Amino acid sequence: MVNVVDLHQLSKHFGTRAALDRIDLQLSQGEIVGVVGPDGAGKTTLIRTLVGLLEIEAEHATVLGYDLLADVTEMKNHIGYVPQVFSLHRDLSVIENLRFTGRLRRLPTDVFESRVAVLLKRTSLTPFVNRAAGALSGGMRQKLAVANALLVEPALLLLDEPTAGVDVLARGEIWSLLEAAREHALVVMSTSYLDEAEACDRLLYLDEGRIIGNGTPQQLRDLVPLELYHAWGDSPRDIARAARQLPFVLAARPTGSFARVEVARSQSPGATQVFAALSQLPGAKVSFVERAAIDMEATLLHLARGAAQ
Amino acid sequence: MSTPIIRASGLTKRFGDFVAVDKLDLAVEPGTIFAFLGANGSGKSTTIRMLIGLLQPTAGEIEVDGIDVMHHPRRVRDHIGYMGQKVSLYQGLSLIENVEFYAGLYGLDAATLESNWAQLRKRFDLAAAENEKTESLSAGVRQRAGLALSTLHRPRVLFLDEPTAGVDVHNRGLFWELIQEEADKGVTVFVTTHFLEEVDYCDWVSFIDAGKLIANAAPEELRRAHSGGYIVSVEAPTAEHARLTAELQPLGIVQAMDDGSLRLTTPELDGARLELLNTLQTAAGPVTVHIEQAPMTRVFRDILEAAWRKA
Repeated sequence: MVNVVDLHQLSKHFGTRAALDRIDLQLSQGEIVGVVGPDGAGKTTLIRTLVGLLEIEAEHATVLGYDLLADVTEMKNHIGYVPQVFSLHRDLSVIENLRFTGRLRRLPTDVFESRVAVLLKRTSLTPFVNRAAGALSGGMRQKLAVANALLVEPALLLLDEPTAGVDVLARGEIWSLLEAAREHALVVMSTSYLDEAEACDRLLYLDEGRIIGNGTPQQLRDLVPLELYHAWGDSPRDIARAARQLPFVLAARPTGSFARVEVARSQSPGATQVFAALSQLPGAKVSFVERAAIDMEATLLHLARGAAQ
Repeated sequence: MSTPIIRASGLTKRFGDFVAVDKLDLAVEPGTIFAFLGANGSGKSTTIRMLIGLLQPTAGEIEVDGIDVMHHPRRVRDHIGYMGQKVSLYQGLSLIENVEFYAGLYGLDAATLESNWAQLRKRFDLAAAENEKTESLSAGVRQRAGLALSTLHRPRVLFLDEPTAGVDVHNRGLFWELIQEEADKGVTVFVTTHFLEEVDYCDWVSFIDAGKLIANAAPEELRRAHSGGYIVSVEAPTAEHARLTAELQPLGIVQAMDDGSLRLTTPELDGARLELLNTLQTAAGPVTVHIEQAPMTRVFRDILEAAWRKA
């Protein structure tokens, strides 16, 4: 299968600072790829590079078969892009914004009408077609931005934190758009949400302009040299505080009905041992300890720690 | 139940014909972390602006730390700290110059400023950033600085409006440790977020939609009410299945799964039930117990969908 994205030793400098540093990346169609990593890691720069907005250096860099080092005008016709900042016309209504994009992209009227009908339905924006984009709530605005990017049925859909500050239902609707787009496109999005990272087919973890993790969520989880325990009891705050005193505990934090306790995998005490050790400590009334699966939080924190070393 | 430190009753705000907040009642216990949630456009920000005295309600009553906010909207500001999604730091000034500026606004004397800031600088790990111009601070440091500034005058109540929006997972974790430390010291924290896993760090949740309360409970209670309950799965040798099935009976109907495990759904996991699971796991023999609970994203989707069906 032909790679939609094929980058070899791609770098982007702003002044002397390398925002992207000798990146190698191959991505193919039909995946939702999540771009994750700390603030300032280069996530936005990577997305803007793939949109063809930046001048870059590379041994080889193609997107949809177009050379990023050459003229990318034609490439942009096949790309949908949702930037981090809302960039549609605030004074135009929902339908006027979509129509504007439709004309700009030269969509035939019948194609435009049928696509818009589907997109409005999926985003529940139909009742708001005549509302000015500037008067929409944050969630509706983002749904409009994604719908607008999908009008051309792009082969590559790029979204920069499309769900930041968006409520859970609107996020669900945006995700159903992305899942539908996956049928005909490669979807690349940055996100800070753990549940969204978990839902991606592939994750790219960026740090200081380098890709230091690239795999399915499960593949990245398997790399984490930790065991995770949930210690249940009446006061998870007290349990967490007590757990931090145990020599084999790396970190402990209360969350909901249990304390989340991280242990180095090399120590591997097992749930029974952790329970026994916690039961010895004054102040921690533990009822039950289970060994839990490594979660996305532990996975991303592990990658962040690895990057720091 | 102690006297609420934040209390709103019949709180209403109309903009023309539009009712943004509709006879809302809120009560926040002192020293707790209180999550105030809602979809985009649900009336959250309008409510916060009224609670902190920035917006005059159309009707209702508000009391924050003993202050009648309706009649003395300015007086409440000495009692609260506020941090918005966009941390308000003056660009062109260094962090320490911002601190001095805010201290002036709060009317702190030099000695108080010095001792309060010395503690915050250490606890929030801001010493290295002190002389940096604020525009060059990373997002994580900015958020910590924002929280430090909002607590500079040692307020009893903190209002944090989406403090972790746009912050990476590492810094969100650090930030919540600081919030929990504040609560441990007795500060009441009123916080909004779209990262729903953060709800599990809170003591109470009020959830609004179209300006009205649609859920008001402890996070666990909401999870109980709006998910199918906890799924308990038990891995053990087949020879043990009959015994375990009998022992697990009090928790719910036990099913044998294709993967060789036993599974049941229980609406609640109280102390007695947890201890039963613990006994099964710690007794001799290779028995492993796993609990699966609904993520808060699912819980809140369910709450919203139920509310919208009703409307």
